[in-house]
Amino acid sequence: MTTGRQQFPEHVFALVDCDNFFVSCERLFRPELEGRAVVVLSSNDGCVVARSNESKALGIPMGAPAFKYRQFFKDQSVIQFSANFELYGDISRRITAILAKTVPHAEVYSVDESFLNLSEFGIADYAQWGKTLRQNVFRAVGIPVSIGIAATKTLAKLGSDYAKRNHDLGGAMDLVNITNEEHQSYLINFPIEKVWGVGRRLAPKLHAEGINNALDLSRLRPNRARQLMGLRGLQMVNELNGISCHGFNPQRSQHQTIMRSRTFGEDTNRLDVLEAAIVSLTTQAAWQARSERQLVHQASFFLNSNRHKPGYASWHEAINFTMPTNDSGNIGRLILERLKTIYNERQWYHRAGVTLYDFIPEEILQMDLLGEIQPNIHDASRARMSAIDAINSQYGRHHIYYAAEDLSKSWRPKHNLESPHYVSSWDELPEVYYSQFQQAVR
Amino acid sequence: MNDDFEINDPDSGVSIHAGFPNPATDKRLRSLDLNQLLITHPSSTFIFRIRGDQGANYGIFDGDIAIVDRAATPTKNDFVLWHDGRQFKLSRSAKMTDSSTLWGIASAIIHQYRNVTQ
Repeated sequence: MTTGRQQFPEHVFALVDCDNFFVSCERLFRPELEGRAVVVLSSNDGCVVARSNESKALGIPMGAPAFKYRQFFKDQSVIQFSANFELYGDISRRITAILAKTVPHAEVYSVDESFLNLSEFGIADYAQWGKTLRQNVFRAVGIPVSIGIAATKTLAKLGSDYAKRNHDLGGAMDLVNITNEEHQSYLINFPIEKVWGVGRRLAPKLHAEGINNALDLSRLRPNRARQLMGLRGLQMVNELNGISCHGFNPQRSQHQTIMRSRTFGEDTNRLDVLEAAIVSLTTQAAWQARSERQLVHQASFFLNSNRHKPGYASWHEAINFTMPTNDSGNIGRLILERLKTIYNERQWYHRAGVTLYDFIPEEILQMDLLGEIQPNIHDASRARMSAIDAINSQYGRHHIYYAAEDLSKSWRPKHNLESPHYVSSWDELPEVYYSQFQQAVR
Repeated sequence: MNDDFEINDPDSGVSIHAGFPNPATDKRLRSLDLNQLLITHPSSTFIFRIRGDQGANYGIFDGDIAIVDRAATPTKNDFVLWHDGRQFKLSRSAKMTDSSTLWGIASAIIHQYRNVTQ
């Protein structure tokens, strides 16, 4: 059986994937937690969002609800952290900077994954190159990464997954310089669920067709693949056979949507609390848009009641802006108007969120849409927002906020297990004691 | 600037300044930046707070700031930051036999006489 795999691929991608990223960040400043079971919980301590290998070995699933596992964590001495996103964001930016120095073309895919374009580098030994990069990243920021190198992004992801689980590979796997037999043996040992793009919805459908591993999937006829899974399925099959369908896209690092949501400390039926939450979330989301120099055409917000109580309901409202904006005040005002129309004082609310989407870059607006926008209003609003941003970045976030934001802090999630802001607060720096050198006690 | 001779042509929107060039507008001239002095590798540099006065002989006091570079190569007389399994320790490097406990190299200690933040 021959596959369509190309011996001398046109493209070479590397996927650099941080191992248990949030846990690794926590361990950077708590090295004694190496070898211990650690979990990181979502911002309201709702569920598990990251696990150390030891926690995985204990059978704690991703997304495990913390309240169900509290006793288990206690019994098994599992160390819990609330997510410290300032820390993770800082470390993520450092890694991105290191990768960008290594290779001119880096595509940040998520907070803990980046694709590198190695097509024009003529690297002789990809595995060795990957091991060296892994060592450099670890030495600089103390975060272990796994690297997969292959002719397509899908195969690179498969390679990084292998590198993660097979420690004798030294953290990097080369899927370029391998024989067809080796290629097939890697695919046959790769369950279908883990193939990039298959996901939880598609996997049962494929199992029903007798497609259980990546090799089965790679052998699907194009017509059949298209019939079963559409165009994306066809691309998946091609990618597994070494034909690149997902090109290199450095623009990807820009957000498609910006979403900020929070669960209330306790359920609320107060309009002022909802307003404060919505304004604060809008401020955060708009700040992100401004930092990426993006303007939004559309925004939406949602409210949920408590999923675990009877009568669960959710509300969702979308808002169009006639003039694209990234001004927290403009966005917040329209959202608050709409909030009043759906608010019901007899309803208890559990969660709120704000999403910004349909972006255009600020530069394009300035050049192309001058006829459509009202330049004076736009300029005034921009000047106001840059002034606020400048003050906030100088004195710490939330130094200046809109009046409505201040109404209530009761909605803020409880961050009782959050680690210190090691890299973002002068008052919470990691501490070190001077001592005469002596052998470490282990 | 008052001595500058200035021509303003409102129709063309062109404004011509003559006279001495203002050196502050030359982008090549930058003010001194302490980051440039203290931080060689921004991606691998972390900041620690010194606790205890055990380092007083070396001029290292409680509350001082340590600039720590993880990527620097340790040499004989460096101050190295390591972890003893419970705490971070800063030591004048003797022989670092177990390199797994080595965390980084202190490139500078900052002692502030007055608190300027906040």
